[in-house]
Amino acid sequence: MFAVLHVEAFALQAALRAGPPVAGTRPASLITGLGRQTALGECNRAARAAGLSAGMSFAQALARCPTLLLRPPDPAGEAEARAVLLAAALTLSPAVEDTATGCCTIDLRGTDPAGRRGAAEAAVRALAATDLEANAGAARTPRLAAYAARWAGQNALPGGFLAVEEEAALLAKLPVDYAEPTPAQAARLAGWGIHTLGELTALTAAGLTRRLGREGRELWDRARGGEPRPLRRHEPPVGFHATADHEAGVETLPALLPPLERHVERLALELQAAGLAAGGLELELRLEDGPAHRAHLRLPAPTASAAPLQRALETHLTGLRTAAPVRGWSLRVEAVRAPVRQQDFLSGGLRDPHAFTETLAQVAALVGAERVGTPVPTDTHRPDAAALSPPPGLLEEAPAAPGGVIGLPLRRFRPPLPARLTFAPTSGRPAHVWTERFSGPVAEARGPWCASGDWWEPARAWARVEWDVALAGGGLYRLLGEREAWFVEGEYD
Amino acid sequence: MTPSALRALLAGRFPSCSARDGAVAPDGLPTGLPAIDTAGGLPRGAVTELTCPASGGGASLLLGGLLAASRAGGGRAALVDPHNAFDPDSFPASTLQHLVWVRCPAPNQALAAADLLVRDANFNLVVLDLRRLPEPALRHIPATHWHRLRLAAEAAGNTLLVQTAVAAVPGTRLRLALAPSLPLAALEKERLLLLAALSPVRTRHPLAAAV
Repeated sequence: MFAVLHVEAFALQAALRAGPPVAGTRPASLITGLGRQTALGECNRAARAAGLSAGMSFAQALARCPTLLLRPPDPAGEAEARAVLLAAALTLSPAVEDTATGCCTIDLRGTDPAGRRGAAEAAVRALAATDLEANAGAARTPRLAAYAARWAGQNALPGGFLAVEEEAALLAKLPVDYAEPTPAQAARLAGWGIHTLGELTALTAAGLTRRLGREGRELWDRARGGEPRPLRRHEPPVGFHATADHEAGVETLPALLPPLERHVERLALELQAAGLAAGGLELELRLEDGPAHRAHLRLPAPTASAAPLQRALETHLTGLRTAAPVRGWSLRVEAVRAPVRQQDFLSGGLRDPHAFTETLAQVAALVGAERVGTPVPTDTHRPDAAALSPPPGLLEEAPAAPGGVIGLPLRRFRPPLPARLTFAPTSGRPAHVWTERFSGPVAEARGPWCASGDWWEPARAWARVEWDVALAGGGLYRLLGEREAWFVEGEYD
Repeated sequence: MTPSALRALLAGRFPSCSARDGAVAPDGLPTGLPAIDTAGGLPRGAVTELTCPASGGGASLLLGGLLAASRAGGGRAALVDPHNAFDPDSFPASTLQHLVWVRCPAPNQALAAADLLVRDANFNLVVLDLRRLPEPALRHIPATHWHRLRLAAEAAGNTLLVQTAVAAVPGTRLRLALAPSLPLAALEKERLLLLAALSPVRTRHPLAAAV
């Protein structure tokens, strides 16, 4: 059993998906020829419905269809679309042949027959998600499968897929041009009143050979759907990378991001076909002037979906300012085996790790990466020395309720508020506090609490004295004496 | 007519509406504060405002209880701190592993950061600390900002706790007020006992009753 993935008007679709996005389905055609020889090339279904066909001049075409969209051929876009098509085909089976432009043949032997329809329809959907309108067919021979795929597309069958069970019934519906007769053969067959492959195959091979020669016999074989044959296997790519160059320097995100996202769609399909996932992304932006920008984008969890990869890139690029326009870029995916992990009730996993990372990246872009994180204690007794670390993806089991914590939390003033103090002459305790924000007599004071550290490193040595005070007008504060000056370090709350 | 009398009148006329406003969801977010938890905790998918005009009221004490309770519940929490006032050394490190601390240099960035965080359903709790924002600046925040935050919290189903010095946030489901009451001797008492003794007043309620 063979399957075929077929993309109608492949070069046109490749040029359209590589260019700026087009709203809806507009009549579109490829431009062929040079100078006075330019004419319409491949036309999409909407253009054909408007009466356009290949070979028509622009004047004729625009007279019939003023909204016609004209695109020049895009070899780079075709190469990328071909890679996408092959990647989608590899999700069905490792035995894939790059049969022709916009046509891949897949050997389905060894695959689960019950899952073939679902897998083929999923491949068609995946291609549609990358703006490649494809159809699939499955049959006993590669040629019959190709007929089925074309027929599924022309008749807009549900799921874009047709599995051939009754070959004769299908051939009876297919027009003769499916078998690619020469114009002379087509005219002669029309003269005989033969319009379908079913009618053609009803003739005897010997009779057709006698009238049309050896080419007639070959036409008869093609009309029957040919025979099963070994495929010329396409070797899947070794790595997962993409690169592109821009003729003119790119200065804005809307010009840079869409082609990048297109390539990510292809990379995601290739990862899925290989049963791998992306553990991280290596992005290099080559600038018109100066060193290239390189970034490693860490992913919270390995994924083979395009959307999280695209979001990670978009979030990174949104907050990026380069010194010069971008002349080209390279993207490499770190492929890893997707870990199989079962969530349990006790560990604090994330509902959506990718959304979590994206949110943190957006917040970091807003306020600065050094201002976002999880506070972790450092190995020192120096006050206010906690550091910020990236939030863990998985939390350990929560400890029992922490007991034994004494006193009130502090709300710090950063930097500490400069203060003037007066002390009671007899007790030596603070008697009055003045700051820019508040002042008042001290109703109650506790201290002094002295601390010092790092005295063995003169540059980092610190020494301080603290008083905890309650002001008569309300409020609990920590006073800090450091380097012969007084401050209010914070308020107890 | 006083606001309390008006609320009582409306509660009598529209009992279903008043029940919806006053009720705290049974699956509310626990705070570690018995006075609030017995009433259902902080409502999820809604904005709660905690007003505490001066130090010594216990707002940071309540924040510590919230962080410990949300850590025990396996959730994630975010603290948006435009005044860089949070002191990690004041809390056990084990209760901060799930916390994302965002130190914003400006209040408008704090609002924008809270807007991003509250849309992420990974966070059970988002705390926006605006206690040191002067009252004119607090009242200058457009009501549309609060409306956006409320809708985002509703969509994501998380709890947004806004700490202010004066009540200024419209559209809150629950509003709690803490008056300065803690003495200096509280610095030598066990924190769990101090937390249990806190008694915030629930002002966003038809009868303005104490919790």
